Amino acid sequence: MTSLAAELGRIVGDAHVIARATQLLVYRSDALPGLQRAPALAVFPGTRDELVAVVRALAAAGAPFVARGAGTGLSGGALAEGITLLGLHRLKRILALDPIGRTATVEPGVVNATLTRAAAPHGLHYAPDPSSQTACTIGGNIAENAGGPHCLKYGVTLDHAVRATVVLPGGEVVTLDRGDADRGDGSGGGYDLLGAFIGSEGCFGVVVDVTVRLTPDPERVITLLADFMRVRDAADATSRIIAAGVLPAALELMDQPTIEAVESSVYAAGYPRDAAAVLLIEVDGAAAGLEDDAREVERLCRAAGARGVRVAHDASERARLWQGRKKAFGAMGRVAPHLVVQDAVVPRSQLAELLDDIAAIGAQHGVRICNVFHAGDGNLHPNIPYDAHDAGESARVHAAMTEIMTRCIEAGGTITGEHGVGLDKLPYMEQLFTPDTLDAMCSLRAVFDPDRRANPGKVVPVRACREWHAAVAARPATHDGGGA
Amino acid sequence: MSALLRDAPATAAQAATIIRDAAAADRVLRLVGAGTWLDAGHPVRAHAELSTEQLAGITSYRPEDLTLSAGAGTTLAELDAATRVHGQWCPLLPWGDDRGTIGATIATATSGPFAERLGRPRELVLGLECVDGTGRIVAAGGRVVKNVAGFDLTRAVTGSWGTLGLITQVHLRLRARPVVDESWAVDVPASAVAAIEAFARGPFAPLACVMMGTDGPHPEAPEDGHWMVRLGGNEANLAAARAALRAIGTLRPLASEAWDELRIARAPVERALRWRWDPLSRRLRERFDPAQVLNRGLLGEVA
Repeated sequence: MTSLAAELGRIVGDAHVIARATQLLVYRSDALPGLQRAPALAVFPGTRDELVAVVRALAAAGAPFVARGAGTGLSGGALAEGITLLGLHRLKRILALDPIGRTATVEPGVVNATLTRAAAPHGLHYAPDPSSQTACTIGGNIAENAGGPHCLKYGVTLDHAVRATVVLPGGEVVTLDRGDADRGDGSGGGYDLLGAFIGSEGCFGVVVDVTVRLTPDPERVITLLADFMRVRDAADATSRIIAAGVLPAALELMDQPTIEAVESSVYAAGYPRDAAAVLLIEVDGAAAGLEDDAREVERLCRAAGARGVRVAHDASERARLWQGRKKAFGAMGRVAPHLVVQDAVVPRSQLAELLDDIAAIGAQHGVRICNVFHAGDGNLHPNIPYDAHDAGESARVHAAMTEIMTRCIEAGGTITGEHGVGLDKLPYMEQLFTPDTLDAMCSLRAVFDPDRRANPGKVVPVRACREWHAAVAARPATHDGGGA
Repeated sequence: MSALLRDAPATAAQAATIIRDAAAADRVLRLVGAGTWLDAGHPVRAHAELSTEQLAGITSYRPEDLTLSAGAGTTLAELDAATRVHGQWCPLLPWGDDRGTIGATIATATSGPFAERLGRPRELVLGLECVDGTGRIVAAGGRVVKNVAGFDLTRAVTGSWGTLGLITQVHLRLRARPVVDESWAVDVPASAVAAIEAFARGPFAPLACVMMGTDGPHPEAPEDGHWMVRLGGNEANLAAARAALRAIGTLRPLASEAWDELRIARAPVERALRWRWDPLSRRLRERFDPAQVLNRGLLGEVA
């Protein structure tokens, strides 16, 4: 054991430190296939005090580290190549749940769906609902600013976090809020430090606990399934619904290859197999008037060319329709051993055109693309099932993805709507942002982590940081990572 | 004070030159939109004003996307007029009047009586362009409604009162105006206060539900027990909401102008702030405006 491993073992107990290479293989990837980098060491604190002590020990040793929740991330962001992995899954206590104030305070390792289950007896739920919600953790959601289908109406993680206790990479424990909190100390304003922290992908520090908003369960929910003979028409229906000002709770699109994968699997939801695309649409809120909203959605779908619109009759039919959507990624396991779940956002009015372009790019590279995504937000998920052991196919998948990203940037969109940059999207950052903007991102990081020890090599390419260049010039023998 | 020099750049590049020059000469610039929020309780002792008046106008508006980009000096009135014809609005409706600029609204993160239901500046800004205290032109965030690419400079700058950068352009999320939008003054007997509080938090999700007379500095505010309620939704939804309100108190129709009056009356209260200057906040200011060129002293950071 190295001296660092021994030191960490003294804090958390030797049983919660892994230093053996064969055991560390478990942590060499997250949910992004094709990218495997094993850590040198893994440590799993079990209490708040242990977490803070671990981060301080890492700071004292000058050791870089990567915080990890459940490892369900899709951008390679939780890989800790040759450095220390700081696993947070043991910190899974719900510390407080206030049904009157509608908030909960949780440790970072609490699973998203577990929090919703705990809130359910009070008629409340935690609104952000990523497809991985039965496994992913709130700490990871904060790091990635996670979304989900119902973020269309209810907003992403950023909109639901109130306050967080964070241990900075240097060991300092701070409390962050959105800058508009009543802190009870007479101060009424401040920078939105929590807003800056959320979505920082583990580069700014580690959540010790976080207070999130809980959302009242809607009085009534109506779920519709509209099916279309052309993907374009489904995209057009999406634009019409958004422009008409009906704000569905969720508006999801699945295309034919996705429908086929789902219907052939154990998650079969009863989607029409011969449809080119289906829209899964949910409206919710006060019972009064909700049927009028549903009728308006149906009318707009038919006006855009829907062949049929089906309304779920009861909770079990609704659950079945949603299971098909949420397990679509798993269902694609039938098609090929690996799956790239991509993530990009385009203006909603350009969805139809972009989907045509994506199909053409797929055909050109001979890869099969399954689209299943948050159409209401313009948040695309073009997924490619493939065999990562086939070098030729992997290269074609990579080429197709690069073209799709470039096309989304050209359309005025962005390279990730909810999965993060991590390692996977690093090459696109200089395509999307100007040198000044990337340098400003480095400055923001430096506020929280001036030594760049938290999740080094991720999010912003290090060559974009002018300060890093200056430091390198002054001190040639640097061992800095590849990112900011 | 009117003797101050005044610069009004027409582009971010011009603003960057002005700011770099000021930093080099150790001069302080006071950032000005419409000029209604100038001191926030801490006077800025500036050498010159830096105005956004030439950075005005809507630069891009796609009604079908419900997104809009505008120069920082664009007035709220102009945004309202441009979006109204498409049945949409920029729902910030902040404290103060509509002569205020969108740049200042975002810079101060000023929300208003509808924030709980329609969103705060920190939620409705998709991205922005600003020039920081070192002259960097920063294009933060984007124009699409969901975006996690890179570190979130938009959140850092929004509500920073110009102390991290001069906002030159903003990208906003719009919302569709409700099909029916109506306002009521509700006289609530003491026995029904819990009921109206439950209504405010309940499934009808009113656009606003404000008790008047306790913290309302409005000179003509009604006495205690009067509430201002604004409802938005479809016909059937509002019929049910109205019925629920009638079970709580007596309803009188309220002109929509009453909300504008409330926004103006409350503005002075909302702008009194005591900034939190913890070490992290000081480091943030230091990284983006090390020479304290922008609004030095505005947030009381100088002893």
